[in-house]
Amino acid sequence: MPGSKAGDDVGMTSDIALLTEDLTKFYGQRRGIEGLNLEVRAGEVVGFLGPNGAGKTTTIRLLLDFLRPTRGHATVLGLDPRRDRTALHRQVGYLPGELVFPGRDKAEDLLRFFAAARGGVAWPQVTEFAERLDLDLSRSVRTMSKGNKQKVGLVQAFMHRPAVLVLDEPTSGLDPLMQQEFLAMVRDASGAGQTVFMSSHVLAEVQQAADRVAIVRDGELAAVERVESLGKRAVRAVEIHFDDPVDPAEFSVLPGVSDVVVSGPVLKCTVDGRIDPLIKAAARHQVVDMLSTEPDLEETFLSFYYHGEGAGDASRAGA
Amino acid sequence: MLPALVRKTWRDDRLALIGWAGGVAAFTAIYTSFYSQFQGAAELKQDALPQGMLDFLGIADMLSPAGYLQATIFSLVGPLLVLMCAITLTARTIARPEEDGGMELMLANPVSRAAFAWQRVAAAGSALTGIAAIPGILLMIIVPWIGMDIPLSNVAAASAGLVALVWSFAGIAFLVGAATGRRAVVLAITGGLALAAYMANAIGGMLDGWHWVRWLSPFHYFIGTDPLHTGWHPVELLALVLLGAATTTAGVIVFDRRDIGV
Repeated sequence: MPGSKAGDDVGMTSDIALLTEDLTKFYGQRRGIEGLNLEVRAGEVVGFLGPNGAGKTTTIRLLLDFLRPTRGHATVLGLDPRRDRTALHRQVGYLPGELVFPGRDKAEDLLRFFAAARGGVAWPQVTEFAERLDLDLSRSVRTMSKGNKQKVGLVQAFMHRPAVLVLDEPTSGLDPLMQQEFLAMVRDASGAGQTVFMSSHVLAEVQQAADRVAIVRDGELAAVERVESLGKRAVRAVEIHFDDPVDPAEFSVLPGVSDVVVSGPVLKCTVDGRIDPLIKAAARHQVVDMLSTEPDLEETFLSFYYHGEGAGDASRAGA
Repeated sequence: MLPALVRKTWRDDRLALIGWAGGVAAFTAIYTSFYSQFQGAAELKQDALPQGMLDFLGIADMLSPAGYLQATIFSLVGPLLVLMCAITLTARTIARPEEDGGMELMLANPVSRAAFAWQRVAAAGSALTGIAAIPGILLMIIVPWIGMDIPLSNVAAASAGLVALVWSFAGIAFLVGAATGRRAVVLAITGGLALAAYMANAIGGMLDGWHWVRWLSPFHYFIGTDPLHTGWHPVELLALVLLGAATTTAGVIVFDRRDIGV
């Protein structure tokens, strides 16, 4: 995939789809995002990760000229979000994080409006995405469930095959099947040379689709990593219910296993990396139930970057 | 063809537009049609109210056709109705969709901020003009029909003034909405200004030494010239149109410069 070599020296600027330099936004005293330096190359899929309130939406809304930076600047496709707004928006597909549709139209009428406002998007292109997402266009958007609204939002973002897709929490509200379809749409877009910049607070979904992730916390960029290097750090919370009480010592010595808490027959622990040693050890007992939860960014992932600091603390700058 | 956004704005507002149009039409038709039956009662009513109250309500006399139209359509309830319509509909151009979030996707389209604002205001403004013109249009039919003795040109002048008054307050409402993006602020400030303007015109006509405050009030330029008796006053109408144009333009400029949806 072009541009997946993170950290390499960048040659031509035309290769860069999205660039921010010292991008900063304060809402009065409150920090939205500060000193963001980010580079996304054409055709790349970049996940923009962070807890709620870390500055993801602020950054995205700066890129789309909803907000004006306090300091620094951003360019998308080499264009200035404010000065070249019209030309830029022609080539950008945007999914807002807070999805609200104007009016009470049926999905079809709403999408026809977006298509017309974009100078006429061929209708089959619209229905193609609607069908992929199994979206019923005859229903009114006001009465739709959150998941179906999200599908309408995704269709309007993808339908004109924009050079850059800026998606704020794109999978929110989608059921697992549709999340997979969405990730396939992202891969197809990337394969066709489209750039995707998507925010999320769930590591797993970004891991599946992105080449790189940029991590923000408390309004500042914490790290930019290639996805491959993140996978090894996958931490999960595991809970195992046994028939009989077990000895914590038996599990706390296992590689990658920590935070072992045993109360009677229930074992709770955190597993960093391979889960195999824990499974092998557990198999020596009668296992009633086992629960393994996805790494939760806010609780576990960020702890790699901020040892001893609790994520989601008092400072909630800019949703 | 009209911009997609203009058509969309009309479509989204169609229920409100139909409701207001129906209400204003019914109000005009009912009040005017009662003219002949009202004559006897009017004398009583006029005698019952003290002169000061009549002056404050903008009622010169209720016996002549001009006085009757002034008292019913053009002095208090008529302007109140169309101004409420103008302010609430104008609050829908920017403030309401910004507050509820619906503006985000409309602004994601390839359109400049200024073009977005102009198209929204054009859609709302044209609809408002149609609604504000309804009393005039109906009077053009009803006045000859029931044989009211008043020159149609004078009725047209007063009706044009009503449209111009609506434009001036729609402009103010648009400016407030474009600057703040808050629907409640639009309703409060513009509604408060409309009330203050009405009072300024009314009180300015009654109190010695306060005559000058009338010149600050859009109502003075609309009805203070007594168009039902004296006909057209283009300069005063132009002043209202200019106020609307200036505030609208200022609104577009402010909207182009600020953060949206914060």
